[in-house]
Amino acid sequence: MKIELIDLKQRYKEESSQILTSIKKVLSKGHLVLTEELNNFENNICKYTGSKYCLGLNSGTDALMMSLWALGIGKGDEVITSPTSFVATIGAIIHVGAKPIFVDISDDLNMDVSKIESKITKKTKAIMPVHWAGKMCSMDKIVKIAKKYRLKVIEDAAQGMGSYYKKKHAGTYSDIAAFSTHPLKNLNGLGDGGFITTNNKQLYEKIKLYRNHGMKSRDNVHVFGVNSRLDVLNAEVLNFRLKKLKSVILKRRRNISIYQKLINQKNIKIPYDTKDQFSSCVIFLCLCERRDELQKYLNSKGIQSLVYYGTPLHKHYASKIDGLHRNKLPVSENLAKKVLALPHHQNLTIKQIKIVCREINKFYKIS
Amino acid sequence: MLVPYNYLPYEFKNTRIIFKEWKKLIKTTDFTLGSKMLEFEKKFSKYIGVKYCVATNNGTDALILSLKALGIKKGDEVITVCNTFYATVGAIVACGAKPVLIDCDSRYQIDHKKIISKITKKTKVIMPVHWGGASPQMNEIIKIAKKYKIHVVEDACMGIGAKIYGKSPGTFGIVNAFSMHPLKSLNVMGDGGMVVTDNKRIYNWLKKYRNHGMIDRDHIDIWGINMRLQPLQAIVALEGLKKIDSVIKKRNENAKKMDNLLLNLSPNIVIPKRPKGYRETFALYMCLVTNRDKLLKYLIKNKIEAKIHYPLPLNKQKAAKNLKLNQRNFTVANEQAKKIITLPIHQYLSKKHIDYIAQKIKNFYEKK
Repeated sequence: MKIELIDLKQRYKEESSQILTSIKKVLSKGHLVLTEELNNFENNICKYTGSKYCLGLNSGTDALMMSLWALGIGKGDEVITSPTSFVATIGAIIHVGAKPIFVDISDDLNMDVSKIESKITKKTKAIMPVHWAGKMCSMDKIVKIAKKYRLKVIEDAAQGMGSYYKKKHAGTYSDIAAFSTHPLKNLNGLGDGGFITTNNKQLYEKIKLYRNHGMKSRDNVHVFGVNSRLDVLNAEVLNFRLKKLKSVILKRRRNISIYQKLINQKNIKIPYDTKDQFSSCVIFLCLCERRDELQKYLNSKGIQSLVYYGTPLHKHYASKIDGLHRNKLPVSENLAKKVLALPHHQNLTIKQIKIVCREINKFYKIS
Repeated sequence: MLVPYNYLPYEFKNTRIIFKEWKKLIKTTDFTLGSKMLEFEKKFSKYIGVKYCVATNNGTDALILSLKALGIKKGDEVITVCNTFYATVGAIVACGAKPVLIDCDSRYQIDHKKIISKITKKTKVIMPVHWGGASPQMNEIIKIAKKYKIHVVEDACMGIGAKIYGKSPGTFGIVNAFSMHPLKSLNVMGDGGMVVTDNKRIYNWLKKYRNHGMIDRDHIDIWGINMRLQPLQAIVALEGLKKIDSVIKKRNENAKKMDNLLLNLSPNIVIPKRPKGYRETFALYMCLVTNRDKLLKYLIKNKIEAKIHYPLPLNKQKAAKNLKLNQRNFTVANEQAKKIITLPIHQYLSKKHIDYIAQKIKNFYEKK
């Protein structure tokens, strides 16, 4: 039996007719840009997350860029962030002209909060924690540091939809937060998409203008902006999927709890939520001894797994250009050698999980 | 009789094929970049007559991507026209460069004769706009650019299907941008855009930058961003490409009819010259009229959805003040802004509609 890492095909197939019905509904109205469906989506997100404002954008990357831009961060400024993330975290910082400053991570793959203060300089304008794999950072501590040094906080919550810390949803701790609705997320569309949430009316108004060419009205431009509007066909699909998100996340969490019971954790470290965390479990990242051998073994048994990611951001070729590669971030470098994503999605059966666990236990016992 | 400006309710009436393709897409979950997008890129480059195409989120992103490909940044100047859609200047500003605006000619296009005096040491790019789907005098602009060793980037957002002596917009500059916004000649059901070029080095960079600078999942070459075309929209665009030529043909027929009817109404109405060898897309059918604001009101009262593109030229927008552009002497554009009007001309209008518009305009001027 082949056990796949993700269930995209199955999930989209299941919902195919509902998706197409949603799209049909939008098309029947003859408006295709910034429509009522997008408005509804933004309101729904506000209700779900408890944020005051939401704006649908082209992508999670755009959401990060717009957040930085709205806070006035640009050339000469420094933004503190994590080396263990998707490339867009850094791409967004570079794109607005600022410099990323890396803070090493802890065992939970999130930014090590105790190392932030030593990286703050006169040029530091913001801290951008990443809720990696859907597990939220210790936001209260980060906000405390930010207050002390008068820094802004931008949550990279690309994977944080449905995640909580101390019972508050991702995005509600910071000045502004960026989310993604890319197909590989829990709340996912049929292509790229993203949004910001904020409680700050000024930031909201700014981005609302900026995402639509800076137009106050059709004939009046107040600022030269860009075009970053969430695709309205996708907005309606997301509206429909948002209704199921809670149950999707609960199923995913249940699966992880089964993994936790069945895997012998001597050679493999499985993520647990702390008492303050409620992870949306976007990906199931484990830290494995002899990772590459394990992956090969699982593969031979028809079990898919994926290294997520094998290279921390400061070790990429792109980092050479900006001298970022000179950073020494031993924890992130070390964990990149151990990290492995195991099969994890809401349609995984208990039987499948049992097989994965059995094979992992077997691998470590034999060797 | 209602003469709508927005033709989208007709445009996507028959979506059977598109839905069939979407159903297939959902089955394959080919959602990021994806084979349909690649197929579209190939077919579009063939249609335009260029070697390479990179599909983007939208026309604005296509402009930003084009400028970034040439390394345009803070301290650089980009020359463009003062009557255009805001995104032209928005893209320049997004790259950190300074927009330098040029007055219009009698066809509402960038006046190439006024470019040279605005060239400085900092000028890196001339960005002519194919405004309204008509084209500026590209050959003259290319000559200037060559002489001063400046790049040309075409804002051909409205220019899909236009021709200049047989050559498409997008084949003149080094790297050029198109839009597929719903109200363009080739349109999608949301946003979409393309960058085209014949330069392989630029093409490789564009492809990388649009997709986070990634060579593959595990290798990042440059710090890029995400500007990918929606796969849903790539499918719509592929369908649109099949009928683009008939759309342009029908629009040209309508425009010709309108031209002939309005010619008799001179001097209240001035139709721009239609130079030989220039095929327009008529994204906007514009003319200059006396007593414009009253005519607009009158037409709208008679259910003819006329528009103005735009009552306020860019140099007079609040955004320009915020930028401290302080540029003046746009005498032609300022004059045109008071007189210009856009009449519905799209492919879903029949002779009956065109006659009706002309008749109403005639009535308006006779009434007075």
